Amino acid sequence: MSDTGPVAHSLLLVDDEPRIRRVLRLALEDEGYEVAEAANGLDALAALRRQPPDVVLLDIMLPDRDGFTVCREIRRQSDVPVIMVTARTDSHDVVAGLEAGADDYVTKPLVAKELSARIRALLRRVEPANARQPDVLVVGDLTIDVPGAEVTRGDAVLPLTRTEFKLLAELAGAEGRVLSREQLLSKVWGYGYFGDSRIVDVHIRRLRLKIEHDPASPKHLVTARGLGYRLVS
Amino acid sequence: MRLLDGTSLRGRVTIAYGLLALGLSLVLAIVTWSIVSNYLTEQRRESAISQTSDNAAAFRFGLYGASSPCTPARLRVECGSAERRPGVTVMDVLNSLPTSDSAASMVYVDSEWYSLTGRPEDLPQDLLESALTGTTADQRMVVGGQRVVAVGVPLEQPGNALFQWHPLGELDDTLQTLRITLIAATIATLLVGLAVGRLASTLALRPLAELTKVADAVARGRLDARLDAEEDRDLGGLARSFNQTAANLERRVAADARFAGDVSHELRTPLMTMLNSMQLIQNHRDELPEAVREPVDLLGDDLDRFRRLVIDLLEISRDDGGDRGSREIVRIADLVRAAADATAGRPITTVEPRAEFLVMQADKRRLERVIANLVENAEDHAGGCKGVTVAPGGLGVVITVDDAGPGIAPEDRNRIFERFGRGETSGRGRGVGLGLAIVARHVMWHQGTIHVTAHPTGGARFIIELPAK
Repeated sequence: MSDTGPVAHSLLLVDDEPRIRRVLRLALEDEGYEVAEAANGLDALAALRRQPPDVVLLDIMLPDRDGFTVCREIRRQSDVPVIMVTARTDSHDVVAGLEAGADDYVTKPLVAKELSARIRALLRRVEPANARQPDVLVVGDLTIDVPGAEVTRGDAVLPLTRTEFKLLAELAGAEGRVLSREQLLSKVWGYGYFGDSRIVDVHIRRLRLKIEHDPASPKHLVTARGLGYRLVS
Repeated sequence: MRLLDGTSLRGRVTIAYGLLALGLSLVLAIVTWSIVSNYLTEQRRESAISQTSDNAAAFRFGLYGASSPCTPARLRVECGSAERRPGVTVMDVLNSLPTSDSAASMVYVDSEWYSLTGRPEDLPQDLLESALTGTTADQRMVVGGQRVVAVGVPLEQPGNALFQWHPLGELDDTLQTLRITLIAATIATLLVGLAVGRLASTLALRPLAELTKVADAVARGRLDARLDAEEDRDLGGLARSFNQTAANLERRVAADARFAGDVSHELRTPLMTMLNSMQLIQNHRDELPEAVREPVDLLGDDLDRFRRLVIDLLEISRDDGGDRGSREIVRIADLVRAAADATAGRPITTVEPRAEFLVMQADKRRLERVIANLVENAEDHAGGCKGVTVAPGGLGVVITVDDAGPGIAPEDRNRIFERFGRGETSGRGRGVGLGLAIVARHVMWHQGTIHVTAHPTGGARFIIELPAK
C-alpha cells in the first residue's frame, strides 16, 4: 500500500507456527512491509541484533522461552516498538506483556489490515498539539525535545521508548490540562473510544519510573481520579 | 392432611404437636372430671341420706318417745307402733330437728302434711311413692332455681315419711372450680404443645433452610455452592448427594465451557490463515478472472461470519471460564453513543440531557459488545436500527434499541437470549447465533436487566437497565 511512505518499514515476525508466519508474511508484504521471520525467542534476539526492524510482532506462546521474557530482553537492548500477540484480551497476558515492555497488543485471530493500522499508529511521529507550540518543552527539570524525540534531565538523556516519549510529549503539549485515557489512546495509539485503557495505565506507570524522583508519589505525572492524567511542573 | 395442604411443613408440624397435646389433655380432663364429679356427688348424696335418716329417727323419738332412737333399719320392727307422747304436736317435733344442712323439712303423718319449710307439691312423684311405701329414696331436683338433693325416709308407721332436701350449692361451686381448672389446664397444654411443635420443627428444619439457601444459590448460577452438613447423621446422605450433584453440574458446565473454548482456540490458526489469504485475494480482486470473482466474494462473506462465530464462542467460553473482567468508571452516554454510532455508521443515539453525566463501574469492552451486538442485530436482521436512546430511570439508566423488523412474538421473547436461540415464529435469521446470548450475559454481569417488547410503531424494542448513578 502506498500510505506507508516511500521507504518500506521492516517487521520482525516472531511466531512458532509456520503457517501463521507464512500467511502473515504474504499479507503484510502485500500491505507494503518488509517482513523477517523468527520461529523462537533465540532466533528473534539474533535477528534483532543482525538487522534491527522498525516493529517487532511477538507471539506470547513460544517454544523456548515465553514472549514476556523475550520482550524484556528486547527492551534491554533496544527501544524498538513491540506489539504482543495474545490469545485473549482479558487474561493476565495483556498486563504482563505491557509490563514486560510491549507498546501495544493484538488478539488472535488477527488480520494483516488491522495489524497494519496498529503498526502505522506506533510509527507515526508526534505532531505538535497546536501550531504555536515550541519544539522544546520544559516541565520542571525535564527538557523535551520534540523533533529530536529526546528527553533530558540536566545533561542526562532519559531512556524512553518511542511510545513513552509520545505519551509524555502529548501530556506536555496539553500544558497542564487533564487528558482522559480515551484521548491518550487516540492520540498515542490511534484507538477509538474502545481502546484498552490498561495500555495507558501501564505506560504511565513505566513513564513514572523513568521521570519521577519518587515514582510511588508522583509530582509531575499525576492522576486525575476518574478523569485521566496530566503533567504539571 | 388435605386441609393443611397450603400450610408450610413447619406449620403442619406445629399444628400436629398442638392437636396431639390437645387430645391427650382432653382425655385426661374428661376422665378426671367424671371420676371426681361422680365421687363428690355420691359423697354428697350419702351424707344427705344419712342426715335425713338421723332426723327421721329423732323425729320418731320426739313424737312417740322411745328408750333409744330408732334407726331407719329397725324402725318398724323394734320401734313398733306407739302412742304419740301427749302434748307434743308434729310441728313442735319438726321444729326441734337440727336444720343445719337441710333446706326444707316436711313430714307426712297419719295422712296429713306438716311442713316446716318447702312445699310437698315440689316433691317428685317417684320419691314420694318410694318413701310412703317404705323405701328410702333420693332424687336430685331444682327448687326455686336452686339445685338440691331430696331425700325421703319412711317412718315406722306405714304410710308415714319424713322428707328433706339438701342444697347442692357448695358441691356445684366445687365442681365449677374443677371445671375451670381442667379447661385452663387443657388450653395451657395446647399452647405448650404448639410451642414445643414450633421449636421442634424449627430445630428439625434448620438444615432444610440451609439446603434451600444453597440450592437457590446453585439455581442462580453459583455452581460452587455446597452444603456443609455432610457430617450430620440424619442429613448427611442428602447433603452428600446434593453436593455430588452440584459438583457434577459444575464439572459439566466447566467442561462444556472448556470444550467450546478449546475448539475455538484450535480454530484460530486455520481461521487466521484463511482470513489473511482471503484478504490478499481480495486486495487483488481486479486481477482475478471474471468467473471467480463472485465465488470469492461469497467465500469472503461466509469467512467473515465464521470469524464472528469463533470470536463469539471465545467470548462466551471466556465468561463460562469465570473471567472476572475489569471495571472502570464509565460515562454511559459517551459509551453508548460511541458504540452505537460506530456500529451503525451514522449518528443514531439520542441522550436525554439528565442522562448525559450518569456514570457506573463498567467493563467497557463488555458494554460495547452489548450495544454493538444489539445495533448490529437490528441492522443486519431486522430492517435497520431506528434509534438508540439513553435516559435516566429504572435501576439508574435505561437504554433502548429499536428496530424496523417484524417484531418478536411474545412466546419467543425469552428464547432469543439463549445460545443459538432462534425465535421460532419471527422471521428467519433473527437472533441466530450467540450475539444476543452474549448481550444477556454481559448485561447480567453488570447487574443490569434486559428484556424485549413490541415497539408501538411495530418492530422490536430492546430495553436495558443498568445500575448507574
